[in-house]
Amino acid sequence: MDEINESIKGRLRILAFIATAILFILFSRLWMLQGVLAEEYRRQADNNRIREVAIDAPRGLILDREGEPLVKNRLAVVVTLEPERGEDKQLKRRLSRVLKMSVAEIDEQIASTRVDPIKPRVIQRDVDERAVAFIKEHSGDFSGVALKIEAIREYPHKTLASHVVGYLGELSEQEREDSEFARYDLGDMVGKTGVERTYDNLLAGSKGTEFIEVNATAEPLRVIDRKTPHPGNDLVLTIDLRTQAIAEKALADGIERTKKKKYRNASAGAVVVMTPQGEVLALASYPTYDPTVFVGGVSQKDWTALTREGSDYPLNNRAVMSAYPPASTFKVVTAAAGFQNDVKTSGTTVVCTGLWTGMGTKWAKRCWDWSGHGPRNIIGALEVSCDSFFYDIGYRLYKLPGERLQDQSLQMGLGSKTGIDLPSEIEGRVPTAKWKKEWNRNNPENQAWFPGDTVNLAIGQGDILTTPLQIASLYAGIAADGTIYRPHVVKSVVGLDGREIREIEPEITGEFGLTQTELGIIKEGLRRVSATGTAKEAFAGLDFKVSGKTGTAEVFGKDDFALFAAYAPSDAPEYVVVTVIEEGGSGSGTAAPIVREILEAILSDEPAD
Amino acid sequence: MSHREFFRNVDLTLIAASLGLVAMSLVALYSIAAGADGGGVTKQLIWIGVGLAAMAFMAFTDYTRVRHLTLIIYFVNIAFLLAIVLSGDTALGAQRWIMIGPFRFQPSEFTKLFVIMTMASFLAERKGQTLSWRDVGLVLAYVSPSIALILVQPDLGTALVVCAAVAGMLLAAGADYKQLGVLAFLASAAGWIVIRFHLLKEYQLSRLSVFMDPDRDPLGSGYNLKQSIIAIGSGGIFGRGWLSGTQSRLDFLPPSVRHTDFIFAVIGEELGLIGGVVVLVLFFFLVSRALRVAQLSRNYYGLLMGAGIVSMWIFQVLVNVGMTIGIMPITGIPLPFVSYGGSSMLMNFMAVGMLLSVYARRWR
Repeated sequence: MDEINESIKGRLRILAFIATAILFILFSRLWMLQGVLAEEYRRQADNNRIREVAIDAPRGLILDREGEPLVKNRLAVVVTLEPERGEDKQLKRRLSRVLKMSVAEIDEQIASTRVDPIKPRVIQRDVDERAVAFIKEHSGDFSGVALKIEAIREYPHKTLASHVVGYLGELSEQEREDSEFARYDLGDMVGKTGVERTYDNLLAGSKGTEFIEVNATAEPLRVIDRKTPHPGNDLVLTIDLRTQAIAEKALADGIERTKKKKYRNASAGAVVVMTPQGEVLALASYPTYDPTVFVGGVSQKDWTALTREGSDYPLNNRAVMSAYPPASTFKVVTAAAGFQNDVKTSGTTVVCTGLWTGMGTKWAKRCWDWSGHGPRNIIGALEVSCDSFFYDIGYRLYKLPGERLQDQSLQMGLGSKTGIDLPSEIEGRVPTAKWKKEWNRNNPENQAWFPGDTVNLAIGQGDILTTPLQIASLYAGIAADGTIYRPHVVKSVVGLDGREIREIEPEITGEFGLTQTELGIIKEGLRRVSATGTAKEAFAGLDFKVSGKTGTAEVFGKDDFALFAAYAPSDAPEYVVVTVIEEGGSGSGTAAPIVREILEAILSDEPAD
Repeated sequence: MSHREFFRNVDLTLIAASLGLVAMSLVALYSIAAGADGGGVTKQLIWIGVGLAAMAFMAFTDYTRVRHLTLIIYFVNIAFLLAIVLSGDTALGAQRWIMIGPFRFQPSEFTKLFVIMTMASFLAERKGQTLSWRDVGLVLAYVSPSIALILVQPDLGTALVVCAAVAGMLLAAGADYKQLGVLAFLASAAGWIVIRFHLLKEYQLSRLSVFMDPDRDPLGSGYNLKQSIIAIGSGGIFGRGWLSGTQSRLDFLPPSVRHTDFIFAVIGEELGLIGGVVVLVLFFFLVSRALRVAQLSRNYYGLLMGAGIVSMWIFQVLVNVGMTIGIMPITGIPLPFVSYGGSSMLMNFMAVGMLLSVYARRWR
């Protein structure tokens, strides 16, 4: 037998050393992973197996002031498609037939970047029953297609108050940047306009989460934990359904009527009905739209029809988003500025000859009534809307240092947002010397502020622009003895348990700064307008008294815009009503009858307490 | 040698260590199969039985007599490998199987043992003298056909195991360090050529390199690795509990590999550091007892066989466990006694049997 060489046994010891070293290295690494980093890997393992699935919260309802729902929820079926099935042409053709949409439209939905890339794509919302039944029956042909139930909006009163309630749309990527929408996921339905937008955070509620254990192929195995969704709160509007319906009908009928007469271009307008304390009872904008087209996502065709250039832009809420020259309805501001600056407003009598020459014959200006109103004091001037009288006040104000008339306009709420709880409200414009210079910066010969600018402003013409709501707010201020309240369309927010979680209280945003005597003079002028003045035909035969002011705005290149602002009853005002009809002609002929119709309907039929 | 004499000379520690590893394997396999048919465990139990029988047979057989069969073993091995290359079932893109009855044989597993046996015989003739350069050349010539045929399958892992066993035996046989250095250089050069001239399949290369950056291919080769590391790491000290590993039970560790190449990850996840250390300690006992057998061998043949078997095992442990914890490339090398697979189980028990035979006949 061989004698084993001792040096060979040494070699075996080297082998033993190598083996031990290897085992030790493996142990060290194990210790690193399992002893030191275990928590991190435990977290990763949980992330692997636990998927968080959001559960939508039912959105709150929108009710009128009496609790009648304007916006409800209803359950609808949504068809979704797994993104990895998006290349299957046959499947898409089948879907296209069943859902009655083109393959191109389906592709558009699949390509939508509005959804998390790994989540199923929404192909169609609110799918009709027959399509649902067909897909269920032929589920083998529709692998990757899922039917999901979701709550969508329903409008029991159709188009009624659509500009106030607004509509929903998918959250866009751009909106997601906004912190207001940070808690949403891409593709969620959020309020886009109206109170749906302003009160979105209260209506939306908060989503629940389901923690689902899945395996490696993302197949759900069981629900580990569930955070229930918290439903949204209901909104109770200040809007009165009946008043809203009256206002919308009066506006639509009035415009149709006007169109048939001399003013063929009359096609748009707005009505605001509110209390002197700012509670909006009706807010109508014409033309209107059907919010139902937005349910389940608006189609490209509908969207184009609603927004294309040359349309009447029915989505615009003209009461807060359009500004018009206030014309003679502005004369109450001129009167107030006259009182404030002590330009002998109450003691002054101006003799109107139809041609006002206060700035010299070279700059003579016409009163609307070319035949002249004769001698008029402020009350008489308001009654017949005498331009000469207000030219005169305007010119006196011009001669004082500063911009007295503009200052008074701003103090009475013009040129700034009223602060109503609706989105996209605009400020309008009170023209000042500084504004004019900036506006005409490329037009040097028109940069100077002339006396005629102030004189024009005094009758609400020139460059001044106001929204119908601003005019309503102004006349509400008169009705409320000089106090301006913030207008609002929401009365209260009600939680799921029926408890009010927020009540919107009247909020004072400004004061006219007039004495009651001065206000009384203005009120008397306004009272006479409907009795013996410019609107006496429109308001003849009513069993209550109406105070108001006509306005006929000249707009370059267009027919006159018709305005009427009123409050009633004159002695204890309950309602303020303002109507503006674009290209509707005269305030007395077109706008005043609409206001009368509304006031008559709401005041005469009012049940006695 | 009488039976009584034999039984007095059985190395029980060696058997206990291998049975301990088998037990760990069954624990993990049961957990994987629980809820399913459990066929994996039953099949593995059959193989263990076959393995133990083979072990006993090898132990009773006088290994010095096996030495006379060296030439036959050598050519049988080559024949098997050729058969596989010419007509083998393919699994995961590699031809590795031949069917014998209902069982799939993986001849390359036995190649490891056959190469060790024939090499031991060859090197034993040098009787511990310093090897000449000619001897080294002969060794290379001797093993090249087997390695080449394994690489053609392609089964890179087994080829590497064979190389490691040969290297360990050369070390034990007394190759001087200059020779080992030259061999190491040649191996590196070969590796360089293989990579430089794209002799490896794309997937092999990416599996080899992915452990350096598992995020590079997180859904491909990196996926198994990432999930394996998460599984082991999440096990912590005490493990997620038997039958409670989410990584392995919910298929994050892919079902195709979790019972074979990645079974250590299942143990690490469910039994934690404690389970992992038990496995390593069992290997420590196995390897140290095997080395003791080699040291006590009454001849060079037994000693070199012991050295070869130890080198084979320790290399497989290093690469397999190292792979599951992200410090070694991904190559399809099973963990001895633990990974699911009949051929591997049978071969490893045969190796234990050989060691037992050497040990029992250590007295001259």
